Amino acid sequence: MLEVLLAEVEASSLASYFRVSRWGHAAVSGLHVLGIASLVGSVLPLSLKLLGAWPRLPQAVLARVLVPCAATGLLLAVVAGLILFSVKAQDYAGVGFLQAKLCLIALGAASALYAHRRHGLTLESASRSQLRLHALVSLGCWLGALACGRLIAFSSL
Amino acid sequence: MRSNLFAALFALGFLLQSGFALAHHGWSWTSGGNIDLTGVITQAKLGNPHGVLTVDVEGEVWTIEVGQPWRNERAGLKEGDLSKGVEVRVIGEPSANTGDKLLKAEKIYLGDKEYPLYPDRN
Repeated sequence: MLEVLLAEVEASSLASYFRVSRWGHAAVSGLHVLGIASLVGSVLPLSLKLLGAWPRLPQAVLARVLVPCAATGLLLAVVAGLILFSVKAQDYAGVGFLQAKLCLIALGAASALYAHRRHGLTLESASRSQLRLHALVSLGCWLGALACGRLIAFSSL
Repeated sequence: MRSNLFAALFALGFLLQSGFALAHHGWSWTSGGNIDLTGVITQAKLGNPHGVLTVDVEGEVWTIEVGQPWRNERAGLKEGDLSKGVEVRVIGEPSANTGDKLLKAEKIYLGDKEYPLYPDRN
């Protein structure tokens, strides 16, 4: 079932185009990096703030900038990542680092959705311990996803 | 507790990963000297980001890294040239870790015709 789906993805015209195009694949790869840069570059300072860094800087101001930047970055990374995946879907699906990365992304995204639905965009209604927990989960998930993603290029494919 | 969870997730990633081998970008992972192999292609996975052939060299299974599509095309290779059942001679650098049976091709011969993937290297 999954094998059939992966084979169909790989046979799609989109995947076929990016499998052979010289600059198309490079461009999508660049957009994937841009998405990750925006996501992790926002999560890192915001999590440090929630853990107690820059105590005199208002949390709401920082969150209003960084939360949308992180969400946009995630969206871009996911869309570009799906294209990169489609090119060799059957091979990538078996790569352990990619499987671990997807678990971390699911956990990180679920944690963010839960925290912001419950405590608002700027997390104003959260307690100190709730903020700390969310920050630690975020840092672990997104830095872990970054590391696992980078390691995909160093696994045998 | 939380740190245990993350440690477990990372460990899972490494456990799931079979046949971890540093490869692909550049030449830093290769031995620095060329070898010459001839065998029959048993599997060809071409296309971005890397093209990989599995070649049976007198009963030994070698993984041969060839070029991206543009590099193979520049060398003169046509679609279907590198496919299952084709006999191929490959000159290139093997992985410095000799147990890997992994080689990055510099040039390929199909019959007597030379296809230079990296014309500036020899």
